[in-house]
Amino acid sequence: MSDLHAYLSTSWRDEALKRLQTELTPDKMNNVTTSMSNIYKNCPGGAEMFLFVECKEGKVTRVETGVGEPPQGEFRIIGNYETFAKISRAELGAQKALMTGKLKLKGNLAKALKLAAVSDRLNKVLAKIPTQY
Amino acid sequence: MTRILDPNDKYFIDNPARVKAIQAEMQKRGIDVYLGSRIRTMSFVLDTFCPWRSYLIIPAAGQPTFFTFVVDALRVGDETWLDGDHVRAYGPMGGMDQVSAITDFIKDELGIQKGRLGYEDGISTYTAEGNLSHWEYTHFKDALPGFEWINSHDIVDALSLIKDKGTIERFRTASLIVDEGHKAARAALENGGYKGMTETVIAGIAALAMRKAGSVSEWNFAGLNEISSGFRTGLGACTPPTTKEIMAGEPLMLDFHAMFKLALGDHSHNYLIGPATKRQRWHADNFVAIIQKVIDNYRAGTTPGTLAALMMDFAEARGCGDFIQPACEHGIGLFGDEWRIGSIVNPDLPYWTDQDHVYSENEMVVCAMQYAAPEENIGFRYENDIVIVKGGCEVLSKYPLGIEEIS
Repeated sequence: MSDLHAYLSTSWRDEALKRLQTELTPDKMNNVTTSMSNIYKNCPGGAEMFLFVECKEGKVTRVETGVGEPPQGEFRIIGNYETFAKISRAELGAQKALMTGKLKLKGNLAKALKLAAVSDRLNKVLAKIPTQY
Repeated sequence: MTRILDPNDKYFIDNPARVKAIQAEMQKRGIDVYLGSRIRTMSFVLDTFCPWRSYLIIPAAGQPTFFTFVVDALRVGDETWLDGDHVRAYGPMGGMDQVSAITDFIKDELGIQKGRLGYEDGISTYTAEGNLSHWEYTHFKDALPGFEWINSHDIVDALSLIKDKGTIERFRTASLIVDEGHKAARAALENGGYKGMTETVIAGIAALAMRKAGSVSEWNFAGLNEISSGFRTGLGACTPPTTKEIMAGEPLMLDFHAMFKLALGDHSHNYLIGPATKRQRWHADNFVAIIQKVIDNYRAGTTPGTLAALMMDFAEARGCGDFIQPACEHGIGLFGDEWRIGSIVNPDLPYWTDQDHVYSENEMVVCAMQYAAPEENIGFRYENDIVIVKGGCEVLSKYPLGIEEIS
């Protein structure tokens, strides 16, 4: 189990950036420029954490994790830690989580929908990281 | 692709100036943010067809932001002059339902936590008016606890009353398109063409001709192109076409609607399918004379009440007062603005036309008259967009006034 990364830890973050840059070409990312923060409420230990991902012209340029206020992004997705964990473990679809109100989106929905497929691709890469939740 | 406004276009409307005019009125009233929900408000500001439930947030300064049902946001964004950041969507997602999306926008993006909020409330004969519902009002209010809510629909109503040059040009074109529908219908009906033809078919023939001429919609909410024949002509002023066949010896009413750049062409023309009786001819001649009388008396400075009284006196003098309905117009503007005259809420009969409203130059109405003798299975309707001018009015449909007998 030593190669498992603790979810949202610095090692998980570094692994995420490496995998996203390797596996998602600008083509696969539709050459988008955008940024998104996931806000994790009710994390183990009670803290509020974030995952911030930034893409420039389809290249994932930045992945940040941490506690407290995330960097400014184009979109925010807010939900419980356990909801995000279920999505990462492929136990719950991101779309379903949004459509049932388990996740809340902030930002321009019309733009967000254009990015739905890109977001799915990104989630699928993150889901493959050996993770300790 | 956001539409670029072109001041040299004959149909140009200065929408940014309209926003500034609304904001100036908001400032006078101490309103910090305006929440529009009526179709007429969307048409007036966005200059785009917005059929789904939509909301327009107008801040004290700067561009407004539009929210509509997510399925239509991209099309609206493509057609309006507002830039992409100001055309938003709501939908069935956490944080993106109507209440969350709009109240979060006001609080988080506009940064307004408390103040006076203008909204649109009232009552209308027009089902699709779009006033805020009780559910919306209650839930928006709960989500914006620091706000005082002020019914402010009259801001847009007042600003949209006098039509600008581009708007009038659009109505002129929409009316000429309707005339193409009437020409096609006339050609299809004459020389026995009406035989075996139903009301629905003649409605479709006109619709095709108007579409070919540039109409994008038979916009009318009461049945698209409204048609009545025989006894149905005496049933009042809402006649969606049926599969009833047009028959010899019966009256026929054709009320066609065309939409051009949100301007609403609306013209009704009547026929007697021969052979007509003397009594039918008498009714027809009465109606044509009444229409002419009313049109001759429209001008800036007169009132709906004056015109209605004049019309009724004239009909009474001709011995047909029992058959004419006691009103001769309804309001008109860009799509969604289709009912009462004027902008002030009439204190005696709220949200109905104030009979003492004084017409001004470049105000528009649909001259609308209904003649009905249901016990004789006959009736007629007249509608035509008109622009009020200083000494009279400009009738926009140029289709000749008359009730012809055709066979």
